[in-house]
Amino acid sequence: MMTVLSHKLNIVHRLCPFGFMQTLNRLHTVALMLCAIFMVTMFTSCIDEDEQPNTPTGNFEALWRIIDQHYCFFDYKQQQYGLDWQEVYVKYKERVNDRMTERQLFEVMTNMLSELRDGHVNLGASYDYGRYWAWKEDYTSDYSDSLERIYLRTDYKIASGMKYRVLDDNIGYVRYESFADAIGEGNLDEVLSYFLLCRGLIIDIRSNGGGELTNAERLASRFVDEKTLVGYMQHKTGTGHHDFSELKAQYLEPSSRLRWRKPVCVLVNRGVFSAANEFASMMHALPNVTLVGYRTGGGSGMPMSNSLPNGWMVRYSACPMYDSQKRQTEFGIEPDISLHLDDVDTRRGVDTIIETARNVIKGK
Amino acid sequence: MKTINRTLFVLALMLSATSAMAQTATDSLRISTVSHMVGGGASQVLDTYLSAEHFSGPGVTYLCTVERQRPQRRWGTIMEHEVNFSSVSDRTDQRDELEGAYNFYWGRLRRWQLLDNRLTLQAGGMANASLGFIYNSSNSNNPAQARAHLNLMPTGVASYRFSVMRHPVVARYELALPLAGVMFSPNYGQTYYETFVRGDYDGNVRLTTFVSAPEFRQMLTLETPLSASIALRIGYLGNYQQFHVNHLKQHVYTHRFMVGITRRFSIISRRL
Repeated sequence: MMTVLSHKLNIVHRLCPFGFMQTLNRLHTVALMLCAIFMVTMFTSCIDEDEQPNTPTGNFEALWRIIDQHYCFFDYKQQQYGLDWQEVYVKYKERVNDRMTERQLFEVMTNMLSELRDGHVNLGASYDYGRYWAWKEDYTSDYSDSLERIYLRTDYKIASGMKYRVLDDNIGYVRYESFADAIGEGNLDEVLSYFLLCRGLIIDIRSNGGGELTNAERLASRFVDEKTLVGYMQHKTGTGHHDFSELKAQYLEPSSRLRWRKPVCVLVNRGVFSAANEFASMMHALPNVTLVGYRTGGGSGMPMSNSLPNGWMVRYSACPMYDSQKRQTEFGIEPDISLHLDDVDTRRGVDTIIETARNVIKGK
Repeated sequence: MKTINRTLFVLALMLSATSAMAQTATDSLRISTVSHMVGGGASQVLDTYLSAEHFSGPGVTYLCTVERQRPQRRWGTIMEHEVNFSSVSDRTDQRDELEGAYNFYWGRLRRWQLLDNRLTLQAGGMANASLGFIYNSSNSNNPAQARAHLNLMPTGVASYRFSVMRHPVVARYELALPLAGVMFSPNYGQTYYETFVRGDYDGNVRLTTFVSAPEFRQMLTLETPLSASIALRIGYLGNYQQFHVNHLKQHVYTHRFMVGITRRFSIISRRL
């Protein structure tokens, strides 16, 4: 059989002109190349994600799934108050149907998100902002802008987001309302220089709802003389509820500019949230700092965003942060001296928390 | 990191090997073909780091292709600069994203002349370096996704010369397929604050293959001469960049109708 085939091939070689065989060889090479390309193409597929339909049930499914795959406190909240996200699905799924109005859907979905008890979890539509604010609304404010006016008077200084003055007993007072207000190194140099002869410093961040973490770090770095461990952070590495990276230590690097070494009191209340909560956590790890006021609001998950088929924005906690003892601060930080504003003091124009802080500094 | 270095070394070795094959002659004529094209069309963007939704909208692309070939040699060089920009929205037009990328391709192609030189086939490999971004205008701590990768792509080009109403036309088809590469990606739930402010990296440089990053690119053009050295080139460019790493999915599909000018130069180079 092989002999016959070989003989026939010889005849073909003898009969065919040289150019034809060369072309045949080239075509053979080309065919091999095309086969190789075809093989690679076979493995080449589209990378895609299934989209939910833009219906009430489709949006509900999309929201539940985004939280299921990205939210970072399922385990912690299971331990704290028995949160079961699968149960939440069953509970709210039966309240959703494709005949409901947009506003009804918004209400049901906001209620579902409230099960997470997280101020960083929000649903944003053009007409409303779904939120869970019970972490501060269920508590007394422990802050009064009328009292602030009494203490700051009218001749206070303003450096970017900070209002400041020297109180009568030679204690510096800084009111920082929001970490969304940027502060520069120059601002901090000026403020600390102004307080150079003071015996101590009060930093009032009550009702500071957060903002830029970098502002919080820039301010805190003025109160350490060496690299200091102030907390830990991790992030999700997959869609599962337990898929997390290792805890990564977070250090506060001392500022190379003017630094403060005298006693410091940081005033807190339930309105201290997110980046402000993180500032309180960092300052709490420092030896010459006393936290005075009421337990902070928490919010230790760095939030990320996503969107739904109907265009609504959803925000959720994605990266958990811990204090220097690896403890969760999602539900707040207990201050060193815990107290509320006293009603009698308030009526007399006295801020109980500021006065307590003054006494702490005077006693050091 | 050792694995990445080893892979990059192998990629570089493969490319330099193909390059070395073509450098034997000393004196030669070199033909350079330079084409500048601009185009517009549709873009489709998905990035699950930013949103689970698909975004689509218009985009523009500029493409510069330089091909160098010595007639007596089988191997030639191809170099392409591709810049694209897209403005895309979700299906409700409430959320917007901007996408932009610069892709540089450099490759070596072997040539076969068939059918009385009417058909030219070229095959080889291209290295692709890409830098880009996707910016989501609504997000907070995940507002953007950086795109950076280095790929090795097997490439084939077919050019066919024919006449239409006695007017010469060249149809050219170019296909580049994925093989392997290396890319940057944040981890699944990692914020850019951790990566770039704190310097905490976690699986941010990933090796990719044609399974995890099945990117490919194709271009079909028709070219007809306007003068002895200038030709008009029109065609379609499809660039399909996609990856699935760190449980994140991304695709950027660009479809462009391209139009431009091609110039041919003959350069006699002398080497001692």
